Amino acid sequence: MNIDLSHEAQEYGRLARRAFEAAGGDLLVQQAEQAPDGRAALVEPVFAELGAWDLDPRADADELEAAAALCRSAGYWAVPYPVAERLARPTDLDAAGLIVVGDTNPAGPVAGLDLAWVAVTLDGRRRLASPQPTTAPARTSAFVAPLALAPIEGEGGDDAGGGDHSADVALGLVLPCWTLLGMLDRAIDLTTQHVREREQFGQPLAGFQGVQFQLTEAEVERSGVEMLARYALWSVEAGRRDGVEDALALRMAALEAAECVLRVTHQLHGATGFCDETTLSWVSRYSQPLRRLPFGLSATRDHLTRRIGATGLAGLFGDGIGS
Amino acid sequence: MDFEMGPAVDALRTELRGLIDEHVPADFLGAFTSDPADLEVAQTFCRLLAARGLLCMAWPEEFGGQGSTPWQQTAVREEMWAHHEPRGAQYMGVNWVGPTIMRHGTREQQRDHLPPISQGEVIWCQGFSEPNAGSDLASLQTAARRDGDGWRVTGQKIWTSYATMAQWCFLLARTSKVEKKQQGLTIFLVPMSAPGIEVRPIATMLGPHHLNEVFLDDVWVTEADVLGTVGEGWRVVQEVLSFERVGIARYARCERLLQTAPRVLGDAWDDLPSELRGRWARMLTHCRRARLLAYRVIDLQSSGRVTPGDTAAYRIAVTRLDQEAAEVLMEIVAEVPSSGDNATRFRRAVEDHWRYAQASTVSSGSIEMQRILLARTMLAAPS
Repeated sequence: MNIDLSHEAQEYGRLARRAFEAAGGDLLVQQAEQAPDGRAALVEPVFAELGAWDLDPRADADELEAAAALCRSAGYWAVPYPVAERLARPTDLDAAGLIVVGDTNPAGPVAGLDLAWVAVTLDGRRRLASPQPTTAPARTSAFVAPLALAPIEGEGGDDAGGGDHSADVALGLVLPCWTLLGMLDRAIDLTTQHVREREQFGQPLAGFQGVQFQLTEAEVERSGVEMLARYALWSVEAGRRDGVEDALALRMAALEAAECVLRVTHQLHGATGFCDETTLSWVSRYSQPLRRLPFGLSATRDHLTRRIGATGLAGLFGDGIGS
Repeated sequence: MDFEMGPAVDALRTELRGLIDEHVPADFLGAFTSDPADLEVAQTFCRLLAARGLLCMAWPEEFGGQGSTPWQQTAVREEMWAHHEPRGAQYMGVNWVGPTIMRHGTREQQRDHLPPISQGEVIWCQGFSEPNAGSDLASLQTAARRDGDGWRVTGQKIWTSYATMAQWCFLLARTSKVEKKQQGLTIFLVPMSAPGIEVRPIATMLGPHHLNEVFLDDVWVTEADVLGTVGEGWRVVQEVLSFERVGIARYARCERLLQTAPRVLGDAWDDLPSELRGRWARMLTHCRRARLLAYRVIDLQSSGRVTPGDTAAYRIAVTRLDQEAAEVLMEIVAEVPSSGDNATRFRRAVEDHWRYAQASTVSSGSIEMQRILLARTMLAAPS
């Protein structure tokens, strides 16, 4: 048993977090929102410094774990860039990134980026994906753009199947959950700091048990997602047959956790949590694409339920696929 | 990363499941039922495990154990709890009474108490809670006063599991009144046959023999029955509670019952409301989540990095799971065919689980206490 990321991956994650902070930290997303066309230019130097696009998460476990750590650090600063999608790029196609999409209204957080994308649906079919122009401002769209899908030469059309790309699906679902985990880390860090400092009735909010208990509710959710994220990443690493089911289970838990963590952290921030000058409001808004795409909580649970059927999840007693 | 426990643990699981299949009836729901045969099953099973060196395999070799790895110990906990704890009350002696005596006991105490525990021949109960000292345990009032070369103990304990069948009690009593209530407490190893001890069972929804009141009226114990140092029992109790916090693998029973459900329903499974099947899938995910949080605690314990907040987070997750899974299972059970051995067994097991689960957020440190511990860790001044 070895249930933690490698030391190298953890160190890489810490390095990335410091690099994003040095490049502007919380200001990155604010600047990107003010000047959407310049968002790539804001962060590309950091990715270059980190050698982010040299990582090949499909090559071996070390690089996959480093990629996950990078996503988490990017989430911590709500870095306004589709890091997970870039890292999940297929290596057998000339594409800059991979986006898992739903069967209806395919979309991704790729507005304004002049890159070639591949989309994959839950059934493992891949298509070329072209971001469509959108008039929605970044403030409400969080850089999400609709995608036009087209067949990939040699992989057949809509009904042709085009091979089993479930490994793409698993990786494309798991890495964004690491980004979301980073956002939950941040929301809780911001809130513990806030309740230590903010005083009401003559004492810090942290002194009230009602506040403490809400915070623990959020932390249990966050820490549970962290462990499921490690498990699902290992499932991808090990090439397990039920990698997609593990990824869906992670995504379902991550979406539930996000709902809880962001509800609690907003509540404990009070009105100040809605203000633009408060980082939580940015983290909260920019968590939206991760939480709604390719499908939300109910649809994720529905997909998981249908895929595991009566077999259940692999575990101590499951005859789940792969156990 | 690698989430496989490895071939040694897999082999151990296989061996344990084989023994359970062979020696524990399929309808066994624990040792503490109204049928005395169930207690006999547990006692026989314990002796069997002991004979194979499996009962105390976590113990150091010098005390008759095998010095097994934390993951082997985890597998034992999971398999036992999943199969309704066929060790009966022995898990308490094995998991924490024995290890505590190893750490704090005299040579004589180790000689007298460890062999019977390791051979599965003795049942212990825990004399901690009192009517006015539950979560606030240090407020207990049971008092021990010196009398010649021994002590006289008077007071009342409550919620004492297995007291009707226990031969020994691991008793916490006040031996002096000092300013700080955590001081002046002492552990006594008290024979339940001592004159002045009266046990009164408490009828509860958990089933018979689970909870009792224990009255101590001028009970005589010797100096040799004191565990550790007089007045420093609180430190020992903290160790005991930390053993308990990770001790019960509740997620394992939840997962076993949830995974059994589709097999019992057969073709009828697909006719369940999709919303219920969705909740079932969610509970399986939460089983995995609780299991992984337990593994995190075990991993951190192994490297000495665990905080009270880590164990508390696990405890909160697993006790909530216990109750939520019980609700989902009860809904599924309503759809189970009304005849057949498998259906009957499953219905009884789920009903038993639901009743027992109601106590999970209360026993062994209430969920409120876990939240306090977790909040303390989260809100501690940044280092």
